[in-house]
Amino acid sequence: MAIVALSGASQRRSRVAPLDIVLRYGTTATAATTAAIVFLVAAFLVVYAYPALAFNGFGILTHLEWNLGNQYGTGVERHGGFSGAPGASFGAIVFIVGTVVSSAFAMAIATPLAILVAIAMHYQVPRRLKTPVNTLVELMAGVPSVVYGLWGIGVLVPWIANSLGPFFAAHVPMLSFIGSGAASGNGLLATAFILAVMIFPIMAATMRDVLSTFPKIVFEGAIGLGATPWQAVTTMVLPAIRTQMFAAAMLALGRAVGETMAVLMVCGSALNQLPQSVFAPINTIAAVIVSQLDSALTDPTGMAERSLAELALILFAITLSVNLIARLIMRGGDRVKRTV
Amino acid sequence: MKPLRIIFALIAFSITTTAAAFAAAELLETGSSLVYPLMNLWVPVYTKEHSDVKITTQSTGSGTGISQAVAGVAQIGASDAYMSDAQLGTTHMLNIPLAISAQQINYNVPGLNDVHLNLSGPVLAGIYDGSIHFWDDAKIKDINKSVASKLPHEAIIPIHRADGSGDTFIFTQYLTFSTPSWKNGPAYGTTINWPAVPNAVGANGNPGMVQACQGAKYSIAYIGVSFLDQTNQAGLGYAALQNAAGKFVLPTESNILAAAAAKDKETPKDERISLIYGPGANSYPIINYEYAIVNPKQKDAATASEVKAFLTWTLTSGQNKSYLDKVHFIGLPASIVNLSKGQIAEIGS
Repeated sequence: MAIVALSGASQRRSRVAPLDIVLRYGTTATAATTAAIVFLVAAFLVVYAYPALAFNGFGILTHLEWNLGNQYGTGVERHGGFSGAPGASFGAIVFIVGTVVSSAFAMAIATPLAILVAIAMHYQVPRRLKTPVNTLVELMAGVPSVVYGLWGIGVLVPWIANSLGPFFAAHVPMLSFIGSGAASGNGLLATAFILAVMIFPIMAATMRDVLSTFPKIVFEGAIGLGATPWQAVTTMVLPAIRTQMFAAAMLALGRAVGETMAVLMVCGSALNQLPQSVFAPINTIAAVIVSQLDSALTDPTGMAERSLAELALILFAITLSVNLIARLIMRGGDRVKRTV
Repeated sequence: MKPLRIIFALIAFSITTTAAAFAAAELLETGSSLVYPLMNLWVPVYTKEHSDVKITTQSTGSGTGISQAVAGVAQIGASDAYMSDAQLGTTHMLNIPLAISAQQINYNVPGLNDVHLNLSGPVLAGIYDGSIHFWDDAKIKDINKSVASKLPHEAIIPIHRADGSGDTFIFTQYLTFSTPSWKNGPAYGTTINWPAVPNAVGANGNPGMVQACQGAKYSIAYIGVSFLDQTNQAGLGYAALQNAAGKFVLPTESNILAAAAAKDKETPKDERISLIYGPGANSYPIINYEYAIVNPKQKDAATASEVKAFLTWTLTSGQNKSYLDKVHFIGLPASIVNLSKGQIAEIGS
């Protein structure tokens, strides 16, 4: 039997071998290209942003003020051997804080919801409804962000301005002194809601996949021993797969950090000020790159454009570290499991 | 038989369309979102009369219009703002006015949207720099004596453009020319360093400004006149603005024409001039030329002649009120048309 199989394989080898070589080198090449693209993007950003890195120095991480400078003035501003428009100064702290805080808020809203929905999808939804429910959640994950943005402008922002904000101002005295910023509805809360709605389905779908890797027999065993489904999930299932669940959440965070269009539509595009309340306008790195690009193109010194590239570099670094952290945690979790 | 016929038809179609594409000159116009609706009125009529030319129009923003015209990607860059000396640098670009636009100051103050509040440069500067917080501020009451008691004690929400914009350019020029503290502070540009006002909101594009102003009670916004129909539909009020002569005037056609007439003799040959806050008793203070930014050295003679022909048409047949009225633009005075024609004559290859 074995001999027959071997001889069959050797017969085939002569015909298939060239394709095998193509496959091997082809896959190696494409895999290498993928890695190379990441490095090339990083390299491009560094090279392109270099004048801004020299011009702004560490100031970009500490300054509040983002100022393209007077493009109709005379003279230039020189720092670090490069020149910008007169009065130009580029501080990204408002955008970095906006990105981090809005994503953190979104995670705080979306994560518990996603965990519950994932549990419901895996354990509670009747088999007949499973496919439609799964499809629905996956559809939600596939909706283009601009659609969420439109919903934000048309529904969410007016609701915050006309209902939620006044309600807080009237009934939550602790917040009322900072609640006046709800006036326009655009801001941190609207951004966090939109981001939460966007990342929640991705998170729920990934977490459901994670849950399905957990042997069902253990869950059923716990039930058999008299645990309630809630006890079985919270004491047995979740602790066992918590690192993967965390990684699923981090992947969703990666999307929240880089989301542009929907955020741009509802964030209120704050400049030069940090949010003083949950209702205050904010700005994120991705959104500000889009909104400032047109003006940056008219900067004769080109420094505004370079500084936007530096913002992109910062965003790239944040996204990369979120992914790395997720990976490291997953690796750590695996090791623990293996030693157990 | 049938599929074969379809294939033949497709081949025939593709041959004729490629032939047409080769025969026609292709021009790209890109830039200002204020000029875009006007271009969409002009271009279909023009290309119907001149079937040998194909003109693509895009609304991308004035900054993109300027940079793509300089780069040679677009033959015509549309911009609300003229190019500064620094932007021109050593390159030679023509700034050709095509029409006159204006900007209204809209507000959403329930109960007062049907009266035209009086606003001045210094008061607007105070609102946008945060020194005037409430609608019943003494400085606003002072210039609105007839409705002073109706002004509410509500915080003002100043809305500005988040994206780069010719509207920001002309609005901040009005503040700069009328208010010394603004001149020495944020000054003017397509994007400026907005003072930190806790209530302030940035919105994207003129449609975003209309939406934000409509959505937020007690807000104020500056919006291009081509959106007047939309702001009226949204139920927003618009202000009478104080001009250099001290009079409060509305953005009516006659007041805009008066402002243009007061500046047309001053317009230099390269037509790069601000019309903001000009002299004249009835002059509306925020008006501007809408520019076509054109490289005088086009890639070939055929393109150059098509650009010249189209721009010349916009200054003659194109100035007809049937086009301009739809976007509330005003036609250029004869002397400015002549200057623009002089600049068009410089286009070559």
